[in-house]
Amino acid sequence: MRVKLKAGPEQRTFIDRIEELSGENVFACYQCGRCSAGCPMASEMDLLPNQIIRLVQMGLLEDVLRSKTLFLCASCFTCESRCPKGIDMARVMEAVRHILDPKGKDAFGPGEISPELAKELPQQVMVALCRKFAK
Amino acid sequence: MKLHYYPGCTLKEKAVALDISTREAMKRLDVELVEPEGWTCCGAEYPLTEEKIVGLAAPIRVLRQVRDEGGEVLVTTCSFCFAVLKRANKALRDDPLKRKRINAFLRDDIQIDPLTKARTTDFEDYNGEVQVLHLLEYLRDRVGTPKIKSRLKRDLKGLAVAPYYGCRLLRPQEEMAFDEPDAPRVFEDFLEAVGCSAVDYAFKQECCGSYLSVSLPDAATEASYRVLRAAQMEGARAVTVTCPLCFYNMDSRQAAIKEKFLDFSGLPVLYFTQILAWALGVDREVLGLGEHAVPADSLFEEVPTTEVRT
Ligand code: SF4
Ligand code: SF4
Repeated sequence: MRVKLKAGPEQRTFIDRIEELSGENVFACYQCGRCSAGCPMASEMDLLPNQIIRLVQMGLLEDVLRSKTLFLCASCFTCESRCPKGIDMARVMEAVRHILDPKGKDAFGPGEISPELAKELPQQVMVALCRKFAK
Repeated sequence: MKLHYYPGCTLKEKAVALDISTREAMKRLDVELVEPEGWTCCGAEYPLTEEKIVGLAAPIRVLRQVRDEGGEVLVTTCSFCFAVLKRANKALRDDPLKRKRINAFLRDDIQIDPLTKARTTDFEDYNGEVQVLHLLEYLRDRVGTPKIKSRLKRDLKGLAVAPYYGCRLLRPQEEMAFDEPDAPRVFEDFLEAVGCSAVDYAFKQECCGSYLSVSLPDAATEASYRVLRAAQMEGARAVTVTCPLCFYNMDSRQAAIKEKFLDFSGLPVLYFTQILAWALGVDREVLGLGEHAVPADSLFEEVPTTEVRT
């Protein structure tokens, strides 16, 4: 993939903000790919977890914010347990979701659960999903 | 002996089987479970960014109540409740700033006694005093295998059961401190203590798709299939879980799994407490087997109901 790198204040702010929110040092990542190798949702993702963190390092915020991957992460922490650098990718994903347009539409909100489905679902999943994907 | 127990919302609605079997089993181990008065939701998800700190208020409110009732230990069975309560508790123990902010937030709480209508508005700061334990840990560390064995009433004859840890019990290891994430033993040891044989298989700590089963059902169907199929290939007669969401993904959605994956022929899913209660002599009728989409009754028929000599 050919990318044009910019290193202006906007990029710097984006990277700093991700680090501040997630509490993770994104530059510790050396792209070994173990996070993506173990990720149960990798086959559904447009950008793999290691690609997300690489794009964050490069300050390519539009590409990261556009990715479907943010809403495919199940916060299962498999990547966290495997990363040799101790990075918790689930926290990086949550930080990126956090800075998505705050006035934008929910990626998934309570309105999307039909009454029939709500009758069948365990209560915890509705709370969890809205906590994760609604603003 | 009395022990504080947090069932969580799902156990009062969709996973009544987990709640009832837990109570019945613990009674037979001389433990009376008490719920914290007026408990509320735990929040289900531990907030993963530093600014969503308000997500800590719900679990800490529950823990503060346990402490105020004189409880030192709180046990849970649902993996989601367990993870949120345990992580929030650790966050308050370790981080003075979180402690200060959450306690400041919770100082506005008002509690009204449903009977006397008395109002409580004065709460002491909570600093992580309670110890949060999963029931599997409690059984291992506080009850112990010898006692469980001495109370067994049924011989399960080494029924091959695959323990499923899923995502929430083991990780992040530093915070959950539950067991070794890559080679856990606590579930296996539990199964062996109650007379089953624990099936070793590759996917026991993989993800079942979790909450994506609602937003992206196909991905969860596939993730759950991988777990069930791996267990079946190793000879499991059932998979056992601690979490109502794992149960939903692997049991309620099994029809969808079978439709998509023709090599899979179906496998019952059980709550670990149903197995425990059964082994301890609880009647089949109170195990909540009617909640299962994949019938599990036959597993509870074939074992003879004679007393086990110990
Ligand atoms: S496992 Fe860790 S170091 Fe390796 S690519 Fe993923 S985040 Fe980077
Ligand atoms: S936490 Fe998210 S990114 Fe990491 S392995 Fe699980 S689904 Fe993949």
